[in-house]
Amino acid sequence: MIVFREIILLLFALSALLIAVQCKKELSLSERVQQLSDAGTKKPVLRFNGDKFRQYVKGTPRNYSTIVMFTALAPSRQCGICRHAHDEFQLVANSWRYSQGYSNRLFFALVDFDEGPDVFQALRLNSAPVFMHFPAKGKPKKVDTLDIQRVGFAAENIARWVAERTDIQIRVFRPPNYSGLLALIVLLALVVGLLYLRKNNLDFLYNKTIWALGALAFTFAMTSGQMWNHIRGPPFLQKTQQGNIAYIHGSSQAQFIVETYIVALLNAAVVLGMILMTEAASKRDDVRKRRIYAIIGLGLVAFFFSLSLSIFRSKAHGYPYSFLLK
Amino acid sequence: MCVCVCVCVFDDRAWYPLGRIIGGTIYPGLMVTSAAIYHILNWLHISIDVRNVCVFLAPLFSSFTTIVTYHLAKELKSPGAGLVAAVMIAIVPGYISRSVAGSYDNEGIAIFCMLLTYYMWIKAVKTGTLFWSTMAALAYFYMVSSWGGYVFLINIIPLHVLTLMITGRFSHRVYVAYSSLYVIGTILSMQISFVGFQPVSTSEHMGAFGVFGLCQIHAFVDYVRSHLNKNQFDTLFRAVISTIAAAGVLTLAVLAALGKIAPWTGRFYSLLDPSYAKNNIPIIASVSEHQPTAWSSFYFDLQMLTFMFPVGLYFCFSNLTDENIFIILYGVLSIYFAGVMGVMVRLMLVLAPVMCILSGIAVSSLLSTYMKQIDDVKVEKKKQRFEGNYFMRSEIATLFVCVMSVFLVMYTLHCTWVTSEAYSSPSIVLSARGHDGSRIIFDDFREAYYWLRHNTPEDAKVMSWWDYGYQITAMANRTILVDNNTWNNTHISRVGQAMASSEDKAYQIMRELDVDYVLVIFGGLTGYSSDDINKFLWMVRIGGSTDKGTHIKEHDYYTPAGEFRVDKEGSPTLLNCLIFGQVYTEGGKPPGYDRVRNVEIGNKDFELDVLEEAYTTEHWIVRIYKVKDLPNRGA
Repeated sequence: MIVFREIILLLFALSALLIAVQCKKELSLSERVQQLSDAGTKKPVLRFNGDKFRQYVKGTPRNYSTIVMFTALAPSRQCGICRHAHDEFQLVANSWRYSQGYSNRLFFALVDFDEGPDVFQALRLNSAPVFMHFPAKGKPKKVDTLDIQRVGFAAENIARWVAERTDIQIRVFRPPNYSGLLALIVLLALVVGLLYLRKNNLDFLYNKTIWALGALAFTFAMTSGQMWNHIRGPPFLQKTQQGNIAYIHGSSQAQFIVETYIVALLNAAVVLGMILMTEAASKRDDVRKRRIYAIIGLGLVAFFFSLSLSIFRSKAHGYPYSFLLK
Repeated sequence: MCVCVCVCVFDDRAWYPLGRIIGGTIYPGLMVTSAAIYHILNWLHISIDVRNVCVFLAPLFSSFTTIVTYHLAKELKSPGAGLVAAVMIAIVPGYISRSVAGSYDNEGIAIFCMLLTYYMWIKAVKTGTLFWSTMAALAYFYMVSSWGGYVFLINIIPLHVLTLMITGRFSHRVYVAYSSLYVIGTILSMQISFVGFQPVSTSEHMGAFGVFGLCQIHAFVDYVRSHLNKNQFDTLFRAVISTIAAAGVLTLAVLAALGKIAPWTGRFYSLLDPSYAKNNIPIIASVSEHQPTAWSSFYFDLQMLTFMFPVGLYFCFSNLTDENIFIILYGVLSIYFAGVMGVMVRLMLVLAPVMCILSGIAVSSLLSTYMKQIDDVKVEKKKQRFEGNYFMRSEIATLFVCVMSVFLVMYTLHCTWVTSEAYSSPSIVLSARGHDGSRIIFDDFREAYYWLRHNTPEDAKVMSWWDYGYQITAMANRTILVDNNTWNNTHISRVGQAMASSEDKAYQIMRELDVDYVLVIFGGLTGYSSDDINKFLWMVRIGGSTDKGTHIKEHDYYTPAGEFRVDKEGSPTLLNCLIFGQVYTEGGKPPGYDRVRNVEIGNKDFELDVLEEAYTTEHWIVRIYKVKDLPNRGA
């Protein structure tokens, strides 16, 4: 008898423990909504990994819809279109967050392939980006996936699709792009401020050397292809398949950022060499110093010219000439 | 104001059905020059065909450029510098690329005109006489008549004057030079009907006008200053300056708001903001000449000059005169523009002369310094007290002169190699090496154009992409819809819509434009990679950029994964559009294989309903289709 009672007590304790554990894992609806809206006020697009996705987007019961963008934003995935889609998605989410009708009925989320590959597998997605609407009740249907092929992923189109699926109207607000104007104003302010502060001592503006150095620096920057870097955005350097690091791009149509720095340095070295030689010949200083200048100058000129020639050779296939270095 | 002779010429065989007023849409300088040379030679009874005059015009003018460069560098530094600069510009690849015999384009004479204007301007600034200023204005007129790049000139000369004012070098000479140049030059430039009233209404020319006003004010202030004592002058100065500045800003704002001053046009705006073209105007971004420059392109076209140029800058700075300031400005500005937009040629071409001039200055200064120090073993003893002879001086000098000579020799070799490899091939006949090393010639373009010439009616209208417009007009002698002048974006966009739409929609567009034949380029059999399929995305972008083309969206032509593919995975819109059908009907060897994209074609059984194949050239590069008439009875 006593043993029987003990056993029943034990069973009670165990089940209570189990229920307690269960409750910890499965949050109630109100708690989930609370957590989502707290996170949503701070960041309109929530980032989910596999677990969070299952808990918030798939977990039942729900009284809210979620719009999820499945994407691959890591640079190694090289998905340029994902970045554009992300910007547009962010725009819609922001517009929703700051709109009049903002409520707990709709949330925007993002699942990155590198953070939640199991989700991709479960939903059988093999491309990115994909926009899906998960309604409060039931499973998503075919129309709950945005047909990017037909409609595109412009913010206005996403908002229209969301309105079709959830009857929630979002007015997309594109912030006007003042970045260029702002940069110009800041630059102007800096210049005026500098001039004002040093208005008693404006001599530095008249100093020829500073202008000369400025012009030379600008020339080195331009001839080493910095504008190309600015417009095309190449990688800093590349790791080849064998594990070596390639500093120089193999073809003459493209370049790496580190390569442009190397070329700028080479040019600067040759120019420095020539300037040293000129100074050595024309100054009236100590004889030994001049001699050393001249020798260093000559060495710099010859060595760095051959170096730049050999780098050019490695890029322009079929170029037959070299000097000193192969 | 427009008294241009050729304004009455109207070409109705290009840009059908719009036609084109030749006088008003091109720069006449090149044509007028060729005609003048032809007439003069024939008057002297040296009978040369006009075609030969045109072919050899560019090399002739590049010889003239060499002479002008010599004079320009001589004015800037010394005859020695002039010689070196002239030698360098004679072989620099950046300039040769655009002045080979047979390249009949504006740049051939424009560079000559530009350097001539600069030379006259430098002379005007140095002497301050009305004679040289007027010569500069005449040279400027010649420049305006030959190339749209004159805008660079009309901005760099005022910038030079402004810099002189800021550095306190403004003098009576500069005042005379600039005032006469601006007034006479602007009036003359407005005689070209293509330029018309732009010099007084567009933003690109407002800088010159502003500096002109500033010149007058500066000179007047100097005059007043010489007649008043200091205090009176200061008060007057401050009061007047503030009122004028306020009034000026107000007028400018009002004019801009009323739209009287046109904003910067797209092409020039993209120089200031390099990403503007890419985002907003597809036709500007698509021309491969408008791409930024990688460092190896600089090195390829200029080799030694890339590092002699900064040394030249250094020499100019250490010996600052009015003229040197000009060349420094010119150098720094042109290197910025060449870096932003210059890989194929246009702006690299403007950079090449200044690079040569500054490098010439550098090389000549270095060599003249060091040549003095070679040998003279006997004189050393005397100069011991002054120069402080240093042991090994003559050895170092000899070594340096040798190194410099090696550099110059390498420069020559490099230029020769580059010219023979890259800038010597005709672009209308292609060649390739076969398996056994023998050379195969692809003469398909001319074959197709001559077929058109002999086998189609005189008034047939041919639709193709704009790259081939001039060639069709010249060799096939048929009316075309769009050509390389690209002055009407909407018309080009219409052609793009026809190429990118399905057969039915395209047929409507073609009937509307009265098209009889369609010409497309296909590289899949030979591996020729600049065919119409590789250009196709530009057709889509330009086609979708106007009102009537809103149904054409670029992402329709990509696969769901975002790739541009022509095989089975390709997007259905792409596989069913007109140009796909034309290019790939029974195309490829083995049938259905594209050797450029290296895939098997996705839609092999394309049956064209509205077009029938008229001609395909030997290597399948050019394909011509005839547009069928409407059926006799309703379907």
